[in-house]
Amino acid sequence: MDTITTKLSSEEIFNLMKQFITEVIGEEFVEEMDITPESSFTKDLEMDSIEIVSFSEKIKAHFGEQIDFTGWLSSMDLDQLINLNLGMIISYIEECQS
Amino acid sequence: MPIITVNNKSVHIQELNKGAAETIVLVHGMFSNLSVYYFNIAPLLATKCHVVLYDLKSHGMSEKALEGYDLTSMTNDLFALMEVLNLQKVHLGGYSFGGLIALKMAIRFPERINKLAIIEAPDPNDDKTRGIIDEYSREFLEHYVENFTDTTKVKMGKRQMERNHRMYEYLFYQTSIKTDMELEKDFFGSPAIETIKQSTLLLYGTDSNCLNAGKHLDGMIKNASLIAVPGDHNIPIQQPLVIAEALLNFFQEI
Repeated sequence: MDTITTKLSSEEIFNLMKQFITEVIGEEFVEEMDITPESSFTKDLEMDSIEIVSFSEKIKAHFGEQIDFTGWLSSMDLDQLINLNLGMIISYIEECQS
Repeated sequence: MPIITVNNKSVHIQELNKGAAETIVLVHGMFSNLSVYYFNIAPLLATKCHVVLYDLKSHGMSEKALEGYDLTSMTNDLFALMEVLNLQKVHLGGYSFGGLIALKMAIRFPERINKLAIIEAPDPNDDKTRGIIDEYSREFLEHYVENFTDTTKVKMGKRQMERNHRMYEYLFYQTSIKTDMELEKDFFGSPAIETIKQSTLLLYGTDSNCLNAGKHLDGMIKNASLIAVPGDHNIPIQQPLVIAEALLNFFQEI
């Protein structure tokens, strides 16, 4: 499993998230989007639940035991999941690294 | 992304808490995928048990298949998946069409199933259930999304609509799913259901069109108990924690 231990800056995490999103939904769709930390997964990025599963798997594969991403998601209700944006994930990963 | 080969087809699976003593396998419904369990239900069950989720053929990230949507083929697939994962005996849960697969598993392979949890399995002979399959069209999907997505609160965007449309088109017009389902319409009237001996939990929504199906199963399965949860057919999405806790309590009871 591809795990890392070095601490990433929020910009590095943001770029990594963008890379994962591109891998999940495809470059042709990402080119049309303006992805920012405010982008929400369901409304702005139009990702459906199985794509969010793929995205979560990429985070888990990259960070390994360092973060419990699924555990974090499971504490959210449906409204929170729908409103989840990239900035919230960046903050969570930063917290886990500190 | 864990992909395994089962019966020469690629199957997307997710496993949580591998190594726990007891295993729970969960089966999703038609036109859905394993994400119905992934975010809330599976993580809670995984605090105590090994949890296995998989995408049915042509669903989620599993490989497409032109035929084999009858309950015998679907249970052959699940049996083969258990063999590949070396699962000798599991607790089994299924939602909607996945509930029908779970019932069929308990009938065909009782020695491999410990407890059985059925969530919102519809009667395949119900007009409304089969009507969806008979009447599918692009307009149907748009109407459905427009009128019913407030129950799951998720609005589909254009790209998602296209993806879903492609999946429905494929399943309805290229695969044998319609004729395979037609053949299952007498399943709830079959005496085989009465042979189910497993302790069985039936979870249905108080406002669900399928509640009568739950009552029917409650009458047919000797060792069953029915719990009505506030909500409609979408209870795993509307009440994930209630469903997860009910499942965990049931599977953990001695």
